[in-house]
Amino acid sequence: MPVLKAPSGNIDAPSQYKQPSRKGKKAWRKNVDVTDITKGLDQLNTQKIIGGVIAEKDSADLFVLDVKGDASITKKFPKIKKGLKSDEILAARSAVPAVPMRKRPAHDKTTDGVLPVKRQRKEYVSGKELSRLKRVADGQHDSTVDIVDAAFDPWADEPQPEPEKAVELAFLPEKEKPKKPKTLEQQSISLSANGKPIPAVYVPKGGASYNPDFTEYRERLIEESEKAVEAEKKRLAELEAERIKLEAAARSAAEAEAAEARADLSEWEDDSAWEGFESAGEELNVKAKRPRRKTQAERNRIKRRKEEERRQKHEAAMKAKNAQAERIKQIALEVAEKERQLALEKAEFSDAEEIGDDEKLRRKQFGRYRLPEKDLELVLPDELQDSLRLLKPEGNLLKDRYRSMLVRGKMEARRKIPYKRLAKTKITEKWTYKDFQLPA
Amino acid sequence: MAKIKKKGQSGQAKNYITRTQAVKKLQISLPDFRKLCIWKGIYPREPRSRKKVSKSATASTTFYYTKDIQYLQHEPLLQKFREQKVLEKKISRALGRGDVSDAARLERNAGRPDQTGKPRYTLHHVIRERYPTFIDAIRDLDDCLSMLFLFANLPSTTSVPAKMIARCERLCHEFQHYLITSHSLRKSFLSIKGIYYQANIQGEDVLWLVPYKFNQRVVGDIDFRIMGTFVEFYMTLLGFVNYRLYSSIGLKYPPKFDQTKDDKGAELAALTLEGVNLATNEETTKAITNGEGHGPDPKVQAEVDKLVKKLRTESAADKADEEMADGEEEEEEKATDAIDKFEPAAPGGDVLPQPTYSGNNPSKLFANCTLFLSRETPRQSLEFILRAFGCKRIGWDPILGEGSFTTDESDPSITHQIVDRPIVQAATTEQGDGEDNQTAQKLGPNQRYPGRIYVQPQWVWDCINDEELKSPELYAPGASLPPHLSPFVKPTQGQYDPTVPLEEQETEGEALDAAIEDAKDEVESDEENSEADNDMDVADDNDNDEEEDSDAEEDEEVEDEEDEDEDEEEVLQRQRELEAEISGKAVKSKQVDPKLKAKLEKKKALERKKKEEAEDLERAKGMLSKKKRKLFEQMQYTNKKKSTEDMKLRSKRRKLEKEKAAGKA
Repeated sequence: MPVLKAPSGNIDAPSQYKQPSRKGKKAWRKNVDVTDITKGLDQLNTQKIIGGVIAEKDSADLFVLDVKGDASITKKFPKIKKGLKSDEILAARSAVPAVPMRKRPAHDKTTDGVLPVKRQRKEYVSGKELSRLKRVADGQHDSTVDIVDAAFDPWADEPQPEPEKAVELAFLPEKEKPKKPKTLEQQSISLSANGKPIPAVYVPKGGASYNPDFTEYRERLIEESEKAVEAEKKRLAELEAERIKLEAAARSAAEAEAAEARADLSEWEDDSAWEGFESAGEELNVKAKRPRRKTQAERNRIKRRKEEERRQKHEAAMKAKNAQAERIKQIALEVAEKERQLALEKAEFSDAEEIGDDEKLRRKQFGRYRLPEKDLELVLPDELQDSLRLLKPEGNLLKDRYRSMLVRGKMEARRKIPYKRLAKTKITEKWTYKDFQLPA
Repeated sequence: MAKIKKKGQSGQAKNYITRTQAVKKLQISLPDFRKLCIWKGIYPREPRSRKKVSKSATASTTFYYTKDIQYLQHEPLLQKFREQKVLEKKISRALGRGDVSDAARLERNAGRPDQTGKPRYTLHHVIRERYPTFIDAIRDLDDCLSMLFLFANLPSTTSVPAKMIARCERLCHEFQHYLITSHSLRKSFLSIKGIYYQANIQGEDVLWLVPYKFNQRVVGDIDFRIMGTFVEFYMTLLGFVNYRLYSSIGLKYPPKFDQTKDDKGAELAALTLEGVNLATNEETTKAITNGEGHGPDPKVQAEVDKLVKKLRTESAADKADEEMADGEEEEEEKATDAIDKFEPAAPGGDVLPQPTYSGNNPSKLFANCTLFLSRETPRQSLEFILRAFGCKRIGWDPILGEGSFTTDESDPSITHQIVDRPIVQAATTEQGDGEDNQTAQKLGPNQRYPGRIYVQPQWVWDCINDEELKSPELYAPGASLPPHLSPFVKPTQGQYDPTVPLEEQETEGEALDAAIEDAKDEVESDEENSEADNDMDVADDNDNDEEEDSDAEEDEEVEDEEDEDEDEEEVLQRQRELEAEISGKAVKSKQVDPKLKAKLEKKKALERKKKEEAEDLERAKGMLSKKKRKLFEQMQYTNKKKSTEDMKLRSKRRKLEKEKAAGKA
């Protein structure tokens, strides 16, 4: 029980708060005077550092009752030399123990012989997993559809049990099921040129056999090679057209240049006269035509000639017109014949085929991208083997299936986009030479 | 006054919706929209006028029916998509906070529906909706099977996970098992792309294409996300179809799957079918896949094998003799098994359906055969086809995987062996001296086991397509094979068909023409023969031909001879005339064979008949409307074109056959 108690708190007589008003800037938290509180806290800290809060200590710790003085003390303790203040400060040690740097206390080496259970690192996520998670967050997860073994028959004709409605709820109108629209039943739009539906798997022709019949194979080979030749011709024609175009452009450019040069040159020639050079022939060419009146005879002659010319022109025109009329009849006949032929061929084509052709496609397709071309599925004559072991399969089924989906109009054509489009970086020069400084 | 219509309020503008609008309306992402459309069967549409639908539509805008999209809004899958989107958002938020473990937890929980109580979705309801009846589903099976068989043969990549491939493979095997047990495979065709199969399921023809093994290149320009969506749908579909088909023949679905066997490459044999007894609801296990159940006890078999080996070492020659005898017996059997062919009673009668070799039962075509597949043959397809056509015992080289009837090539019960290796020219390798067991069992490059028939793989395909066992000599190893024709191309009336004899397919007129020509030739040759009797110098016409064929060097000489021939004839004619003048008789006209005469008359009659028919047609055509007449003309035009081609081919063949006959005579 402490005998004495240090004065604590404010020992002054009770008074009003120093804060006279709660209005205005002075009432702001930062403006409230807390110096005595901070001072007290500082004091507390220093007390702790020195060895504990004095107020909490037992009085026995603080005070010793000295009954009789000790004479030897003066001998024992020589007069303390006062050291330097800085040394004193440096030597000062806090009574509060330092924060240990070790994870585990060094003295705790003894165990009970049972190894501690290794902590599972449940939180740990590997880099691979993390990248997968990132992809998932980006919407690129693998299939979310659950493919389970079929355990019932969806086409079994089980009677649809009508849910019995409670009598008291009879007044409620039945919930209407969404009706399937008729448009849903419509077949997809086939992309073949003749508009006929394209089968999922074409019935293979004899020419596609690994060991084909000669006539069938030849037919197919000729057909395919004709197609290839046609494509090559088209390519060459395009090249030629391009070349001609370029040539024409070059020629016109050259002509323009030449004309310019000529213009320059003529200026020179004009100048030559000015400058006094003149060739000998030039004055002979100049034939001054003397103006005079035409005689009547001359006038008549001119008139006659003009009349004659006009007549001839008219006759020629009439002749051409007649010839054209004749030709028109002929052309009409020819055209009719040709049309009939074409119609026949076309009819033959369309008549023979109940199904669409997946090579001749219609012009208008779905989506932004063109359909991929069909692979050439043909074994060349020199590669033709009659052994199954030596067969080199042609075409790519994966591509074939994909194209089949597109051609049957099941979806629009897509193209793989291997990379996301990145923002374009723009490289600019730093105009440091403009950051000059004026000499002082 | 009619009510004023506002633009964009009715008609096309209302009926169609662009893709972007649809995606916005459904509030899902574009990939999800694509998925949904594929599953629900909603296809892009083409409005009659794009301008009328939407002013801003470009050429690449895709349209859908507004009603379709409206209907999609009731789709329960939509909710699942949204849930997925929520999950994605949660994960990305956690990742953004750097709380990776939380993100992982979220993702993990979503993948464990059994623990979280939130089931993942299936496509069951979509199947029922898209295919109201089972027949509808079967009609769409072409695409489904081609796709799944293709994916079953793909290498696994990041875009095609191994799990999906395994699933496809299993579904395909289940389906194949159904075809085997129900014997519904009809035709198959080896093309350069892959192998086509045609089966008849409940009256519907299903055609699909299976790639050759180990051949699939995965090219870059294919969108695997879309393909994967299709495959997911088709996997669900085929699962249900299999269920229905299995239960229709009293089998339990799914069949028992043996993982260890599958790992060893047993493929079809990894599945064990189980019958389900409906009355007692008891399951009875049947080993349907393998012939082992039907075969003898393995222990007994082993002992018999031992005995046979012993016997063989004791008296190899005796055994060879025996087996030779066996082979003969077999051949005899075949000879007796041949069935008469129905021939039309009158010429020009209907072509009668011919009875097939194995008594109208293609499902037992290979029932009496034990086949062995050499290691270079395509086992998967051969096994499937042979089993589907009744073969119970198929053995193959152990390198081709597990599940075979025997892996011992020397098994005496084997009747046919399928080989596809060339005959090695450098032969005569020395036999092993019997000390080393392994070398003793193996045969030299060109050596054969006696008593069995060696054929190339094409034999199997041609057999099943013609529904009869073809004669194996044509398909012997090393022989040049007959062409493998497509069984799907049906010969139309009057079309040239190389497999059918000429007499069956030629028209009456053609036959007559040919006969007349033959007769003429005969007469000529007869005349010449008589001439030859008179004048020994003149060479026979036939001789001439033979010389031409045999000796190219003597060509000129022969031509000279021919010229001489003609000269001789003229001289002869003149002589006859002179003789007639002297004797005072009329010039003897050329002797006309009565047979030839009859034929000529017949031809005339035929022509007359044809003419009449043509006239009739012409008259009938006059009755038709202009449009129909044109159509008819078109038809005639194409028919004529085709028939002339066929005629050419037939005449070519006739010529060849005649030459052959001449060569033989």
